[in-house]
Amino acid sequence: MTTDNPAAKAAAEVAAWMNSVSKDVYKFAESAGALWTNRSSPLKVTPKDIAALETMSKDFLGKHTTAIGAGVIFSVEAIENPGGILEWWTSRAQGIEKLEFDLTPGGERFYDYQNMPFFASARNTGKQSMWGPYLDYLGLDEYILTHTAPIQLAGTFIGVAGYDIRIRKLEELFMPALRAIPGDAALLNENRSVVVGNSGAYLVGERLRTIPDDKQLIPVDAPHLGLSLLTSQ
Amino acid sequence: MTSNTAFQAQVYQSLPETERSEAIVNRISKAISLGLLKVGERLPRETVLSEMFGVAPSTLREALSELRDQGIVATRRGRSGGTFIVKQPFTSDEVIRTWFQDRSIAEIRDMGDEHAAIAAATVRLACERAEPHEFVRLTELARGVVMTDKPELQARADSRFHIELAVLAQSPRLTNAEIRMQAETVQALWSNVSLTRDPEQVAAEHLALARAIANDAPEDAQRLVLEHIRHDVHHLVDAKLSLGYPMYQQERP
Repeated sequence: MTTDNPAAKAAAEVAAWMNSVSKDVYKFAESAGALWTNRSSPLKVTPKDIAALETMSKDFLGKHTTAIGAGVIFSVEAIENPGGILEWWTSRAQGIEKLEFDLTPGGERFYDYQNMPFFASARNTGKQSMWGPYLDYLGLDEYILTHTAPIQLAGTFIGVAGYDIRIRKLEELFMPALRAIPGDAALLNENRSVVVGNSGAYLVGERLRTIPDDKQLIPVDAPHLGLSLLTSQ
Repeated sequence: MTSNTAFQAQVYQSLPETERSEAIVNRISKAISLGLLKVGERLPRETVLSEMFGVAPSTLREALSELRDQGIVATRRGRSGGTFIVKQPFTSDEVIRTWFQDRSIAEIRDMGDEHAAIAAATVRLACERAEPHEFVRLTELARGVVMTDKPELQARADSRFHIELAVLAQSPRLTNAEIRMQAETVQALWSNVSLTRDPEQVAAEHLALARAIANDAPEDAQRLVLEHIRHDVHHLVDAKLSLGYPMYQQERP
């Protein structure tokens, strides 16, 4: 898409970035699911599987250095051993490190992942999804956005694979394109909350209850992610 | 190496004053009571810990030995060894009594003032930024204090609800501030050394607050949280006063 309109250009740039990562998120989900091809159900997550998932996460984080975490989350119904539910790694100065989560409801640091939209939405739609900005308390403890794709096994949803990116990184990535837009503009998520704004007028996390009369929403052409760009008409 | 999240890292910050060993014991105990560190978790290695706290290795060893004596941590040797958290610390009645004695009413009011300032902003932002799917969880946490009758668990449930408000406000700084406020007061609030806080009333106030946030009603949410904190302050003051003034009584002939 070629255009001289800076807003359309910014929307296209965001879409291009998202779509290029999307490809790898889908690929990640596909190779994760392939580990269980022709194995019995409910699935067993063996130490060998976890090692394979670790390699996949490491490869993903190695290729996408903007991401700070990557891994898979299984649906409780799909797997046999509850220990292997949340396999998520974060990049450290050297290599990657597994994150530990408390998955016992009512536990001291219970991490309620099944209610997290990136999980529910991937299960319901069978497509990639994005959630954020949110403060990942008891997870990474960072202000992040999570992008996931469903893992399917013979057409059945068994979990999601994806990555986390810091909001400040998205700011670095998209600010040049957003700053090129005259007037106040912002990248919004599916719920019309600001992900990145090009000025103080729209601050990250703020939800737009109504679209101001002099503004319009341009959809960002990244399927199912629900992103749009708010700009002057 | 044990991983540290941003909020856990705060637990290990360098200490400002002397009596450092005691301060380390306090900080680790409080972090466990608030659920920032959990039972079963391994602490970072001793060299790493003493560096993070900014204390001499001998000071750190003294603190760990105190925590071991209290049965809060245990040290295991060997390849998968290290110092592990093995139980919820129990703040002794004696410590809570001293806490009440050492705090003037003015200080308690001032803690309430700071908490009110933080909480008022927090709930307004939570109204603006919280997403619908988060309300269910908030409502669940709001009821936490009536799910148990153990003071230390009530304290943890209470603090968890307030921390969640800051998480929904999407502000790491307000979350840090809320954690600090909770660490300071929540155990005294739920202890039964003096008057006891009524969990039903607290749960009702939490639920009303959760509803105001779900309804995106920032004015109501702010009013409710300020009232709630005022009740906390009243309770702390009454609890202090009902313990009497043992220190002064001792001084009198």
